[in-house]
Amino acid sequence: MLDVADRTASARQRWPPRRPDARTLARAAVITVLLLFVLLALPQLLSLYYIDAMTQVAVYSMVALGLGVLVGRVGLVSLGQVAVLAIGAWVAARLLFATSMPYPVVLLEAGLITMVAGTVIGLPALRLRGLYLALITLMLAGAITVVLATVNFPNGGHGFTGYNGSSVHIPPIRRPSIAGGDPAYFRYAVVVAALMFLLAWAHIRTRPGRAWAAIRQSEPAALAAGINTTLYKLWAFALASFITGVAGGVLAGAVHYLYSIDFPTQDSITLLAVVLMGGAYSLWGAIIAALLLQLLPALLNNWGVSADWLTILFGIGVLQVLTTAPAGLADQAPKDLARLGRLLLALARRLAPSGGTR
Amino acid sequence: MPSWQDFQPFIVSGLALGGVYALSGVGMVVLYQATGVVYLAFGAVGAMGALIAWSLIQAGAPGWVGWLACVAFGGAITLAYGMVFGPALAKRDPLVKAVATLGLTLVLFGVMDLLWTTSGGESRAITLPTDNSGFMVGQVQVNWTQVIGLAVGVAITVGIGAFLRYTKLGTAMRAMANDREITATLGVPVRRVEAAAWLGCGVLAGAAGLLLADLVALDAATLTFLVISSLAATLIARLRSITLTFAAALLIGLVHDLLTPIQSLTNYRDMTPFVLAAVALLVISRRRVMTASREET
Repeated sequence: MLDVADRTASARQRWPPRRPDARTLARAAVITVLLLFVLLALPQLLSLYYIDAMTQVAVYSMVALGLGVLVGRVGLVSLGQVAVLAIGAWVAARLLFATSMPYPVVLLEAGLITMVAGTVIGLPALRLRGLYLALITLMLAGAITVVLATVNFPNGGHGFTGYNGSSVHIPPIRRPSIAGGDPAYFRYAVVVAALMFLLAWAHIRTRPGRAWAAIRQSEPAALAAGINTTLYKLWAFALASFITGVAGGVLAGAVHYLYSIDFPTQDSITLLAVVLMGGAYSLWGAIIAALLLQLLPALLNNWGVSADWLTILFGIGVLQVLTTAPAGLADQAPKDLARLGRLLLALARRLAPSGGTR
Repeated sequence: MPSWQDFQPFIVSGLALGGVYALSGVGMVVLYQATGVVYLAFGAVGAMGALIAWSLIQAGAPGWVGWLACVAFGGAITLAYGMVFGPALAKRDPLVKAVATLGLTLVLFGVMDLLWTTSGGESRAITLPTDNSGFMVGQVQVNWTQVIGLAVGVAITVGIGAFLRYTKLGTAMRAMANDREITATLGVPVRRVEAAAWLGCGVLAGAAGLLLADLVALDAATLTFLVISSLAATLIARLRSITLTFAAALLIGLVHDLLTPIQSLTNYRDMTPFVLAAVALLVISRRRVMTASREET
């Protein structure tokens, strides 16, 4: 879709993989330190309000990761990812109420069931490409939203839907026994998110990632090169749905109570906006997108600024990204910072001698 | 199962709704044909226009000033967007152009939420003078706004059809739908034709917003995302034929409203446009052959 940044993304994929050089090791070290900081220090530093916000960031970084795989790697734009998240949350909530299975098993099952649902929906939609695919996912998201509004989220009732019409005595959705409190659940969410990023990274670095890159460049060319384009497109849909489904499971435990109005169709549009702003070509972009989507509103709310300004900002951001900076913040911010640094350095050099002589 | 009596009023309201969907759908098809942009901000533009009209009327302005302001706002903001971002994105994929209009949607949506906050629970309504007068068809009450809804849909479809077929500007737009580059080489002022298409589409967005605000509800979110329903009609027509768009829009409006009295389906009636569009797209795409040409979309 956004063709300009293809070079940066595909240049990194080498095969066979070389021995880890110093750069890779340094990157791994940075990620480890960052992860340890987030897991150990962050819950100590933040208030409960921000810990909750950061849990949401962890959840939405997974959702953004799923959409990032579709948009950035394969070039498929989905405008229905929040509906997929809702499916994952619904399945997880239903399982958590119906069974006493351990939480990780529920997460896995939520991911797998969402994956099947996403693939079944995706299978016919895959005949479409580009614009039509994006629009049909928007349609399907709208349809899912309508169904959810009628079926409602499980709240401890009986039957298939598990919905209890009366509003008294609604039990909260349970959390894993090791992560009952908010800081512990935050750590839990971060670990799950890290595993999902690892899963996506493993895909991107190996055969599917190369097939996706080929499909994104040109589908006819990929087909001519012997790539089973349908299989790999479906694979991308399945992976994205799985990750989003797991995110839904984490979300269910994080909020305790789920309502269908929390998953409006417009959120899918906002999600695409922040994913494009964050940068769909980089895994870091997913984290930036989640920070934009969940931490910024929390900050603004704390400062008493209306969150509507954010919607406006996201709109302007999309227009800016599409017209001038297709690789998003993850690509643009380091470049701009480097440029600013050089500028400051040049400025300092110019000022220093003149200041010294006079 | 409800009796035929129960369905009758919904045929009228369904046709009226379908007419307004047709109005929106035709506007979007014309813009897509001329510029290659699927204008997803159509609903947001109409919603904001309707809110401006509401504010003006609240402030004591006569009704026609408000309606005119609504239509003028639609035309102005759409033309401005087209002039700024149209050329910048002209060579990009149709998908990129469509997603860019989502940016405009978000901006307008944020502004609407900011200026006309919904938190107060204050309900707004635009009432056209045609709401209160009407006539009876059989035992069904029909008001003039509903007649206008359908009539405007028919008039716009026929009018735009004739415009594209017989006028010089319309011919230029059809030529651009085929190939923008060649049309430019032939001496057609491409930018000016595009500007006309943007303006026309914006005016239709304003008019549709005004009518929908009356027929459905004056609420930013509802109106903004109602565009998805009219988008469904254009998708059934593959963003090409305005006649097909009109027919599909009427069908969507009718099916949607006729499901209302059926107890078991009434909650699911909002799915109508999505389901119809999805089925139509899948049927159409069944025999698609992969090509790498520019025209395939």
